[in-house]
Amino acid sequence: MTALQNELKLMIIECLDLEDIDATEIDDADPLFVDGLGLDSIDALEIGLALQKRYGIKLDSNSDETRAHFASINALADLVKNHKSI
Amino acid sequence: MASFMLEAWTALAPSLNQKEDWSTWLTEPSEISEQPLNVSLKHVPMMLRRRFNVLGKCAMGAISQLAIEEPNIPCIFASQHGDTTLTLSLLESIGRQEDMSPTGFSLAVHNAVSGLYSIATKNTSEITAIAAMEGTIASAIFESVGQLQCAEKVLCVIYDTPLPSVYQPYTQGNEFPYAIAMVLSRTNGEEISLSYQSPESQTVNVDTSSENELHQFLAFLLGRSNTYTCQSNGSSWTLEKTTQHVS
Repeated sequence: MTALQNELKLMIIECLDLEDIDATEIDDADPLFVDGLGLDSIDALEIGLALQKRYGIKLDSNSDETRAHFASINALADLVKNHKSI
Repeated sequence: MASFMLEAWTALAPSLNQKEDWSTWLTEPSEISEQPLNVSLKHVPMMLRRRFNVLGKCAMGAISQLAIEEPNIPCIFASQHGDTTLTLSLLESIGRQEDMSPTGFSLAVHNAVSGLYSIATKNTSEITAIAAMEGTIASAIFESVGQLQCAEKVLCVIYDTPLPSVYQPYTQGNEFPYAIAMVLSRTNGEEISLSYQSPESQTVNVDTSSENELHQFLAFLLGRSNTYTCQSNGSSWTLEKTTQHVS
């Protein structure tokens, strides 16, 4: 687990009130929504807002690309890394 | 005049968890605003539980004491102010020109608590969310009696939390969070009549503060008085127990 992955997990735990979950319980490659961590559509909007606030990333809420970025912690980390390097 | 049966009821507030607690408190009111709310939502999955704040916990705590067996009971949820603390925090974020929290926005609507309840209990029946000024309790009962015309039983929940201090100079709110949950039935329980007096015919002056409404209504539920009267827009509503049975 890299520092960025851990940072994203802590961000998600904080912004989604997941106080009963520890960062180590979230698998980097597991799905964040439904079957994996079990997040829902409101959580997706909340994560989108947090990404915008923290990293200045603006996402289109309806695109397939956004869906792919939200697939897992690893996918979110790639999104943040690519955004930083632009 | 209409009538209904009160099948079961519970009331919950910090340090007041059972009927006996309320009975003691009505006799000797004690300061309860600073006490913690004793509600466990362990039966609600964690991913849903995190969406319940004090207002929702209070309502859910009172409902779960009723041990309702019908999964699809129609529901009436009545709250004078709703989640004003949350609404205020959203207004403050707008004031700071920040983007609003989508979760906060979705939970600030007046039917948020009833929505969470319906998801937690997989209740797909009709649910009504009422916001009323004075007469919140009477409005909730009136709506419940209306819904009993086409349902055998309904769940009626009346709940509120204290207002944030910025609003307190403008209205009388409750000093502590509370919830009352009742199962009203067509055929089972204590018989109660609901009657209405139009503005012309009423002469009594009743204290309409919500705190007083709560006191009077609990005294009625506990069998300390046979009637409960409240005023709303000049007219008055009266509940009266028509049998001698005391709960």
